[in-house]
Amino acid sequence: MRPRELPRRSWLTGVGALALACHGGAESRRTLRIWAHQGQEAEHAALRVIARAFERSGECAGAEVELSFFPDYHLTERLSIAAAAGDMPDVFELDGPLVARFVDAEQLAPLDRLFSPSELDDFLPSIIAQGRVDGRLYAVGAYDSAAVLYYDRARFAAAGIEPPNPTGFVWSELLAACEKLAASGVQPLAAHAGETNDEWFTYAFSPLLWSAGGRLIDPSGTRVQGVLASPANVGSLRAWQELFRRGFASNAPVDPDPFGNGEVAMDWSGHWMARRHQARKGKDLGVMSLPRFGPDSAHACGSFCWSISARARHPELAERWLRWVTASETGVRALVEANGAVPARRSAFALFPAYRELPFALFRQQLEHGARPRPRTPFYATLTREFAAALRDIAHGADVASRLIEAEYHVQREIDRRLPTRREPG
Amino acid sequence: MSVWRREYGRPAYWFLLPALALLGVFVLWPMLRSLWWSLHDVDLLAASRQRWVGLDQYSDLLSDARFRAVFANTALFALMVVPAQTLLALLFALWVNRPEPAWRWLRVAFFLPTVMAMPVLAILWTMLYQPATGGQMGPINAALVALGLEARDWLHEPALALPALAVMSIWQGVGLQMMVFLAALQALPRDVLEAATLDGAGPLQRTLHITLPALRNTIIFVVSVTTIFAFRLFVQPYLMTRGGPAGSTRSVIQALYEMTFVSQDLGRASAGAMLFLLVVGGLTLLARALAREERA
Repeated sequence: MRPRELPRRSWLTGVGALALACHGGAESRRTLRIWAHQGQEAEHAALRVIARAFERSGECAGAEVELSFFPDYHLTERLSIAAAAGDMPDVFELDGPLVARFVDAEQLAPLDRLFSPSELDDFLPSIIAQGRVDGRLYAVGAYDSAAVLYYDRARFAAAGIEPPNPTGFVWSELLAACEKLAASGVQPLAAHAGETNDEWFTYAFSPLLWSAGGRLIDPSGTRVQGVLASPANVGSLRAWQELFRRGFASNAPVDPDPFGNGEVAMDWSGHWMARRHQARKGKDLGVMSLPRFGPDSAHACGSFCWSISARARHPELAERWLRWVTASETGVRALVEANGAVPARRSAFALFPAYRELPFALFRQQLEHGARPRPRTPFYATLTREFAAALRDIAHGADVASRLIEAEYHVQREIDRRLPTRREPG
Repeated sequence: MSVWRREYGRPAYWFLLPALALLGVFVLWPMLRSLWWSLHDVDLLAASRQRWVGLDQYSDLLSDARFRAVFANTALFALMVVPAQTLLALLFALWVNRPEPAWRWLRVAFFLPTVMAMPVLAILWTMLYQPATGGQMGPINAALVALGLEARDWLHEPALALPALAVMSIWQGVGLQMMVFLAALQALPRDVLEAATLDGAGPLQRTLHITLPALRNTIIFVVSVTTIFAFRLFVQPYLMTRGGPAGSTRSVIQALYEMTFVSQDLGRASAGAMLFLLVVGGLTLLARALAREERA
């Protein structure tokens, strides 16, 4: 039996109507596509509120906002897939150190004309440094980050350690404190060497290398040979390895917050633990900059920041969103209240009285003076992965010089292999 | 044949078309695309920026000691997991193959880890393996110390990390293979076993001479599937060791994932995937050939 044929014309009419409906739907109301990292619950709830307020404001000009969240580690993957498929959102967040990579792939629109000189001055210098590649601005964040060393005043007093200055220990002072704490029966330091996120290692320990005059990659961003395994870096990391070798810090901790739980006396950590530590330690909470080798500290900075796609469907709307979400009142306030990060705008500090006192005052001070973004190179992802892998092995006793030379070899090999394609006109 | 072809040939092709179209779109096209990329330097973030490099990426991968090492790690992992897991699954299946309801609970207990999310198990086992540092110690080391043995850093000693992951993976996967064996055991004709019993065969003889030969195809199936699963090792090292220490637990899939999404080096990742396909495809064909031998 032959199946009954559908009348051909009705078929075509149906498909056509559907296509028209879809097309008409897209045209009737403009949609601004925004992608952001998931963050903590309060943080993405805050971003939703900010987006709704933007939608209702005149700034949005009646357009619809489509806000999508991705888990932090997944955002870059999704952006890469979207770039390969030619389907980038109009405006999106990306992790600060990846800005150079996205600029190199010609995925970002410059933002230089978006802000007046006085507005640019209102951003923390670390935010501008993070978003600027080859003299042009491509990304700005609503908040920044700070890495510090928290300590327990009561434990320090019990071990007979003088309260340190907020500028922090030089290395020999850190070791002396560790010895005294260990002698008093307290585990001295949490360094979170079991962290599975590669970025932790580059973020938290590069400042130590910088303070001894070291670098991870040369300023051109294309040579690590002789730079990553420099005598300065080898010396710094041998000293760092001593923390684990002498049992001052665990190289395989399971407890993510041994300081908060009262098991260790110092925490090599960042702004994200400030509220929690304050709540748990109260007046016993002390804070200082991370330990250093030289006379000057170089501070960690960097966080998620906003960029506009070079192929945004609605670039003008995207620019308005970017101004909205990075403005003190409409964006920074709610985000910083939610995630406890450091406001990116100087004018926003007035909204947060906590920044008049430690530990918060130290975060701002570090970002205003001496904060240094992680290397801005298109090969950052490879560099940070290799560096983190080397640091993990070094924490477990690997020979520092040969492990750094190995990391250097693999990063350089990739750079040399891929540089010719980048140099050909696209 | 020709009559069939004349009568049914054209309609047959039309009936085949949906399946062929799906295969073409979801299997053939991605493979051809991947092959094309593997011959170019392709940037995932800027895919239009391609440069023909011919077989350079293949020769580069094959000459890269690290890439050879990830193959060796994965093969070693498979060598540890496949025989042990198959044998254990078979033993468990023989053990729990009893009709009384109480044994059902044991079956469920063995099967439970299979349905739990691997990331959760990875965290659980990281805690179990925790070494004795910083005043803390995991239960496995605590048990060893209680027995008068030395505590070890299971996930960070180059010689121990991969076996530690293998043990965890066997524990996680054995339940599924056990169920496959159990299904095969329950399909065994009872009369043959009863006849053997009447002829005076003991439990061991019945297992060796009747049960095992009857399970031959199931064993081949379990071995080949476990091998493929073992070669797809990713979550355990990615979450528990990050491929360390000194790269001793880095798997092929982890290396391919990192090439694609960390280095965003689509061309090289495609070349690596092609090599991986050759190896796993070769193993699958081998298993099929063995199975065919049995049917012949």
